[in-house]
Amino acid sequence: VTAIELAPDATTAAAPPDLRTHLSAPRTRYAVAVQQAILHAAREYLTGEGFTELLAPVIGPVTDPGARGSKQVDIDYYGHRYKLMTSAILYKQASLLSFGKIFYVAPNVRLEPLETANTARHLAEFHQLDVEIAGASREEATAVVQALVAHAVRRVLDRAAEHLDGLGRDRHALGEVLDAPFELISHREAVRRLHELGHPQDPAAEIDWAGERILSAGARRPFFVTDYPKGSRGFYDRESTTEPGSLRNFDLIAPEGYGELCSGSEREFEYRRMVARMRETGENPAKYGWYLDLVRDGIPASSGFGIGVQRLTRYVAGLDAVWQASMFPKLPGVVSA
Amino acid sequence: VSALRADGFPEAEVRRRARAGAAAAFPPGADYGAALFGAAAGPRGAATDLLDLARLVPPVFMPQRLEKLINLGREPLYSDVDLITDVGGLRSPLPVYVSAFGSTRAASADVGEAVSRQAGRLGLPMVIGENVVALGGYGRTDDAPERSMLRRLRAYREALPDGLGGVAVQQSTEDADAEVWNLVYSDPSARPLLDSGRLAFELKVGQGAKPGIGGMTLVDRGTADRLRAHYPLEPVHGTGELLRSSSPGTYTEEILRQQIRLMRNNFPRARIWVKLPPARDVAAAAALAWRAGADAVTVDGAEGGTGWAPAAFLDHVGLPLGECLLRIGRGDGSLFASGRMWEGSRCVKALALGCRAVGLGRAALLAADEDRADGLERFVRCLALEMKLLISALGRYAPADLEPEDVWLPRDVAAPPSTAAPAGPVDARRP
Repeated sequence: VTAIELAPDATTAAAPPDLRTHLSAPRTRYAVAVQQAILHAAREYLTGEGFTELLAPVIGPVTDPGARGSKQVDIDYYGHRYKLMTSAILYKQASLLSFGKIFYVAPNVRLEPLETANTARHLAEFHQLDVEIAGASREEATAVVQALVAHAVRRVLDRAAEHLDGLGRDRHALGEVLDAPFELISHREAVRRLHELGHPQDPAAEIDWAGERILSAGARRPFFVTDYPKGSRGFYDRESTTEPGSLRNFDLIAPEGYGELCSGSEREFEYRRMVARMRETGENPAKYGWYLDLVRDGIPASSGFGIGVQRLTRYVAGLDAVWQASMFPKLPGVVSA
Repeated sequence: VSALRADGFPEAEVRRRARAGAAAAFPPGADYGAALFGAAAGPRGAATDLLDLARLVPPVFMPQRLEKLINLGREPLYSDVDLITDVGGLRSPLPVYVSAFGSTRAASADVGEAVSRQAGRLGLPMVIGENVVALGGYGRTDDAPERSMLRRLRAYREALPDGLGGVAVQQSTEDADAEVWNLVYSDPSARPLLDSGRLAFELKVGQGAKPGIGGMTLVDRGTADRLRAHYPLEPVHGTGELLRSSSPGTYTEEILRQQIRLMRNNFPRARIWVKLPPARDVAAAAALAWRAGADAVTVDGAEGGTGWAPAAFLDHVGLPLGECLLRIGRGDGSLFASGRMWEGSRCVKALALGCRAVGLGRAALLAADEDRADGLERFVRCLALEMKLLISALGRYAPADLEPEDVWLPRDVAAPPSTAAPAGPVDARRP
């Protein structure tokens, strides 16, 4: 039973078939095998670089408020309102008190706006490769993203080529990832390019979904967009000290129209700046009690990022829609297993 | 029989309008030909209120009436005034919307729903207030408490004609905990409004009746136990009920600017409204809000309301609404005003001083309370007739054509001491 109607022009990929058909389909098996190779490669790379894999928290009194327009899931925790993690960002920063370089393969739940059900790239339940590095700059973080994605693609080409072939993925197009460093453009430049192409992108906001699709479709290799304006992201993305109003953050955008794979940033870690940023993002600092207590007494400066596992799988495997990378996909608003 | 009272507010007149409709714009029909009429010795109501002291002043020479005459091919009448107005991105049959009610019991359950249903039927944009979710629940999986947000949304939407109206959902600093906007933006029941461009979100920067402090309600012990973790509670009344206080929220220019930008970023398909208290820097705040991309700015005058407020604030804190409008002048965006709006002349004065629309708060509540089925509808019919009469008398035929020159202010108000900002007669304040 679906609770929403898909747009008339939605492709067949926008709607999953019945569960038995989906679970029995060879395509599903291939896609999950590619995902397995990606996760294996990610762990191989990160542990090789000295990262500690931690188990991700699932619930907490607060979670990441930075997810554009989506709603958090409340749960009744012995009479207290707790949240399912929309991302573990707050816990990642806190964990740096124990380990300098950490990662999770973390489950996240976000009740996304209903119109995202047919963007082919939103799931209400998904996973992130969530990485945080104490003392790192944004440039060091993007270097890790690039090396991690390249390593995953290399391993998939080496070890899961038959699954790629089964899915009809163009291995040559994918192999271009390995050729050279990813290009890096600023948000301002991205807006300029979109305006040139006639797309009315708001310069003070996140690149909208249509704009992101245009940029992604015009690229042959993944690229970073950096320096998003304040007012487009959560309070934990650090504001530049030399260019106020601009954030020391980045997205990684996949080519061929696959869109955003990853968001990351240098983090705010200074108490005073963080409280002001919380207000600027409309947050009530009181609810972040445990986190602000730690921040007030000091947490390490850091950079980090989260790569959407199903999105990366979709891109590497060349899938029409992100739900094809999930055994039990939850499309926004769609009632399913 | 209703328990709802509104001391210091022309409650009897509002209730009469809710019963009699357009007829209430005139003296009782039985007096026709039998009584003589004239102005009262002094203005009725609050004699110090700037908007009440002001008068609407029709000219002799009316070039816009000539335009209308040419257009129609006959002499125009009051019935030729077209009241349809764009209210912050929402289309309304008259320059009026229903403003938010406080979260006190005054706006509870049946009356709130009656207002919603009638406002929907009329196609009037309606604001749903802060705290409705926090205190009444949303009504999706929480056993649909009587005062839930969802119940009001549904009552409104079911009666709403195509192409008119819309809902503005308010969120204050502490509502952010309940993620009211995120909830509505992703909820199937709000989708028809979102898809037809009739959903707005209103950022509540301050309280009209108590600028500088946050929302207040009185709650019983049972409710208090539930709220204790989130709000300070004080037994100030000695009645067993506790005073629940919200924090007002901290704003700087940068905080307001970025909050508006974040709203636009996160909810690109919703209209963005910003509600300001009658603060001394209201003009600067309004200008900043418009620059940051707000579709509309609402100024709520220090005129009382449905919320609970300390007497000191009602009598002595905040600019009078008229002064707010003079300070803001003709701004760069849509301006709304609310505060003791209940009859046509006060509304038309506010429109002439630069407002795009006016909000009905207590008046809407009392009218619906008088008659749950049709009270608000009759009240609005009377208001619309008055507005048409007044606007046409000024030689205008649409609310947007009104100008500050249509309003006369008493001399001492029009030329305030040079320390007051901004100085000068009304005309000098036009851009």
